Amino acid sequence: MAKLETEMLKGTLEGIILASLAGRPAYGYEITARLREQGFSDIAEGTVYALLLRMEKRGLVDVEKVPSEKGPPRKVHSLNAQGHEYLEEFWRTWSFLTERLEQLREGGK
Amino acid sequence: MSDAEKTGLMAKMIGPKKRWRAYKGRVKELPESYRTAAEAIERYLMHFVPTDGDSNAAMFEDLADLFEQAAADGTPIRDVVGEDPVEFVDAFARNYSEGGYVPARARKQLTDDIGRAAGNEAGPEDTTV
Repeated sequence: MAKLETEMLKGTLEGIILASLAGRPAYGYEITARLREQGFSDIAEGTVYALLLRMEKRGLVDVEKVPSEKGPPRKVHSLNAQGHEYLEEFWRTWSFLTERLEQLREGGK
Repeated sequence: MSDAEKTGLMAKMIGPKKRWRAYKGRVKELPESYRTAAEAIERYLMHFVPTDGDSNAAMFEDLADLFEQAAADGTPIRDVVGEDPVEFVDAFARNYSEGGYVPARARKQLTDDIGRAAGNEAGPEDTTV
């Protein structure tokens, strides 16, 4: 991933993860794999994990431990009411930003 | 790990030393490359000034969780930590120490001092406290 893309992703990755969880609950590795499939090829699992921990602490996701065949139990994350609210706010902010940026692009032509 | 475990009676009873030893034991059980990576991250995390013992212990327990799961799934190290491990560890550490290399009290002090200065500002429209 190009440096600029990495930088721009930083501020939005949290929203991206929440949006992915809004579809259906998932554990860390699943989310990373899903995002990779969708073209975010260089996202590190650790980074997703770190953000999931933060969302858990802020009460945006609910966590359920599900036993796995191999290794420790997996933490399955699901978006709760507060998470949905936060995601809506994220999309509102996103719309605002893209709109303003488009205006700047048009104005610069 | 539930919050009760991190901050509750259990945590007080088992104490930070025991939690640390338990964490070290878990890391020791990891396959070699995962152990090496986890220990490298552990060394880097030592630079961060912990705000309290509980959150510091929880940080290392969460680190062990990540690497145990990665080892079980066979996720390559590079896929776990990414091209820029510092970025990952900074994001990770921010969950516990509020980030940065300065003590939390220094950050709080700065925030409080600025807040006080701004509050005492004699602005024309500033009629607040």
